[in-house]
Amino acid sequence: MKLTTPHILSKQYLQEAVPGASLAFFRIVFGLMIFGGILRFWLKGWIDQLYIQPKFFFHYYGFEWVQPMGQYTYLLFAVCGISALFFALGWFYRVASVVLFLSFTYIELMDKTNYLNHYYFVTLVLFLMMWLPAHVNMSIDALRDKSSAKRLIPRWTVGSIRLMLGIVYLYAGLAKLNSDWLLQAMPLKLWLPARNDMPVIGWLFNYEWTAYAFSWFGAVYDLTIAFLLLNSRTRLYAYGAVIAFHVMTSLLFPIGMFPYIMILSTLIFFDGAAIERVISKIKRLLGVLPAVVNNNVYTFRAGFRKPLAVMFVVFFLVQAIVPWRHAFTKGELFWTEEGYRFSWRVMLMEKMGYAQFVVKDKITGKEIGINNNDYLTKNQEKMMATQPDFILQYAHFLRDQFKAQGIAEPEVYATIYVTLNGRRSRLYVDETRDLAKEYDSFKHKSWMKDFQDDIYGL
Amino acid sequence: MGLAGMALLIAVAFTACNKKDDNGTTDNFDRKALLTNYADNYVTPAYQEMVAKMNTLKQDAAAFTAAPDEPKLLALQNSWKDAYLTWQKVELLEFGPAENVSLRMYINIYPVSETKVNNNIASGSYDLDAFGNKDAQGFPALDLLINGTGATAADIVSYYNTGSLATNRKNYLMAVVNKMTDMITGVQSAWAGYKDAFVESTGVSANSSLSQLVNSYVLYYERYLRSGKIGLPVGAMAGTPSPGLTEANYSPALSKDLAVAAMKAVRQFYEGMSYDGTNNGVGMRDYLAAIGTKDEQGKLMSDVVAAEMDEATTALEGLNGTIKDAVTNNRPAVLSVYDQLQNVVPLLKVDMVSAFGISITYVDNDGD
Repeated sequence: MKLTTPHILSKQYLQEAVPGASLAFFRIVFGLMIFGGILRFWLKGWIDQLYIQPKFFFHYYGFEWVQPMGQYTYLLFAVCGISALFFALGWFYRVASVVLFLSFTYIELMDKTNYLNHYYFVTLVLFLMMWLPAHVNMSIDALRDKSSAKRLIPRWTVGSIRLMLGIVYLYAGLAKLNSDWLLQAMPLKLWLPARNDMPVIGWLFNYEWTAYAFSWFGAVYDLTIAFLLLNSRTRLYAYGAVIAFHVMTSLLFPIGMFPYIMILSTLIFFDGAAIERVISKIKRLLGVLPAVVNNNVYTFRAGFRKPLAVMFVVFFLVQAIVPWRHAFTKGELFWTEEGYRFSWRVMLMEKMGYAQFVVKDKITGKEIGINNNDYLTKNQEKMMATQPDFILQYAHFLRDQFKAQGIAEPEVYATIYVTLNGRRSRLYVDETRDLAKEYDSFKHKSWMKDFQDDIYGL
Repeated sequence: MGLAGMALLIAVAFTACNKKDDNGTTDNFDRKALLTNYADNYVTPAYQEMVAKMNTLKQDAAAFTAAPDEPKLLALQNSWKDAYLTWQKVELLEFGPAENVSLRMYINIYPVSETKVNNNIASGSYDLDAFGNKDAQGFPALDLLINGTGATAADIVSYYNTGSLATNRKNYLMAVVNKMTDMITGVQSAWAGYKDAFVESTGVSANSSLSQLVNSYVLYYERYLRSGKIGLPVGAMAGTPSPGLTEANYSPALSKDLAVAAMKAVRQFYEGMSYDGTNNGVGMRDYLAAIGTKDEQGKLMSDVVAAEMDEATTALEGLNGTIKDAVTNNRPAVLSVYDQLQNVVPLLKVDMVSAFGISITYVDNDGD
């Protein structure tokens, strides 16, 4: 008889041994999905288009040393794809998971033009997975070394992946609690009519209230779905909603792998024992998933436990705090984007810009108009024109470029118009400021023009 | 039930209790209607008239080269001018069949290279399909050949009647006219086979008709109208004027008429007017109005764009003298026209494109 229910943050509850099948199954699905994603990237010719063709790459602050490697970039993707397969198979898992995390992260750091929230999510999950016992069940490692096969693992290991997903959804939901999303139905009011030629439901998008319904439904979905997935009574219905929601978004918007990543990742919320029951049925049919049946419990090495616990606590504290960092900078977040990335702000803005740069020789006064396509790909130009850190990096690139061509003191000026969520475009940076002399930092960029409107909310 | 089911339920509930809201604005969201209007009422008659003008030009060129004299030169110059003015209403249609053959490259790349034209004439053998010959043909090359080869009409006639190269000159003139006529006729007939696919492609992806039409329209306005006709000759970017870059360089009196005709065509096309300007159909302006984005004063962006275009047209029309002369001798006035033209660029390229849910990019990549 159970006398007390342990508190969900108690050591006892977190360390309780639970069937590890859901984490192992997650490993397989996640690894295969990354492999598929790499393959898709390769086959679409994006490696060449995004990492070999460009003459210039936008680096993350502090990661300027991460560079594409010319033709060897293909090798990097091959390493990433192959390690994802090893990861999925649970074959030399520790090595595979480290190689996968490092290669995937390196790819993401090469050019921030290609930043997507779901790539960031994959990076974070891969970081967690390096430390977790995801290979002690349904893996080649467990088959090869029977003593390493364990059916049970500490609850917190599965829980940490669930928590990561919960953070993604909850913060994505909180970010939707703003006046543009809820009161103006922006940007869905612009995006949905564009899809009114869809079969069956397309006609709905001609009505403004559809955009409102979708906006509010999306906010409620994001805010509640993690809790509904955690609760065993609502889990199955919640998972149905996950599938419906993400399939819908994949039909409506060009968001690539994201819907599938979420549909497959949320399988982690299913109970390990339930996964075992399903597997045992499939196993009779296929016999491919070598589920462990012993009752051995995975334990972390003694000297390893404390540092690991500290690291995970710090990791999640950082995850909880980072999305709020915009509170410390002035200016409208959607306009300045200071603190916009790494915060699970997904599909919140229709933002577009038009940037015209002029390089001026300070000594002769001669001006040269820049054709951005001489230096940037279409995609880089598009991302650059709406984000100040890109604008500054590009301005510095132009300065260095013209210095090398013999202009002793090049000054760089930009005329940039940006529209945000249907508002009339306005000047984005001060046309009179020489961007060659400005420096990037995490402080507010005083050379930016003000938004001159308000978006209320989180 | 899921999202789709939920949405459907709300839809049923809404239509059941709210029938009065049916004021027809949704028709303007109908991209098929918009595409049909452009294809049937603008593109088709535009190429029809362009081909007719080219045929006249060809006849006059044939008559002139058969026996060059001043009256026939005058007739040729007039039909060239007429066709060139018509081209200003066609050049903005560089999507679909016109884009497939890079029509503009063969018809109106200026400045013409006098060296290439003279070399081609001298050698008597040339391939006008070659990319390297794009600035040795089209209206600008004809301008050189029939307006720029002599100070007086008599001089020009004698250019074709005297010297060892006279035959080569006549042949080259005819080759250029024939090439233009063939290209334009080819695009016209290709449109007949393309129209259905064009109208049916109602999406908003990079390959959709709306995206192609708007992208080519904005590109045309920015690069070939604003920069080509005014910006480059006045040196808005370079800082110093280059009168030699003016369109119709050998007929300075015509440049402004060409620019005004182009600007009016841009305005008319935005509105969704029929080619002859008599009917107003569903155009970009109506689609933008249906989306309903507004500026900070609450004015519809669709009206803002129209007003800015009208201002630019007025400014352009108000320019005194020829563009070729004004870029040097009345530079501030031309720069102010340029600024007016420039004001429209962000409105088209950013505000309109963003509201349409399309993008100015040909890189097909994920977003989030």
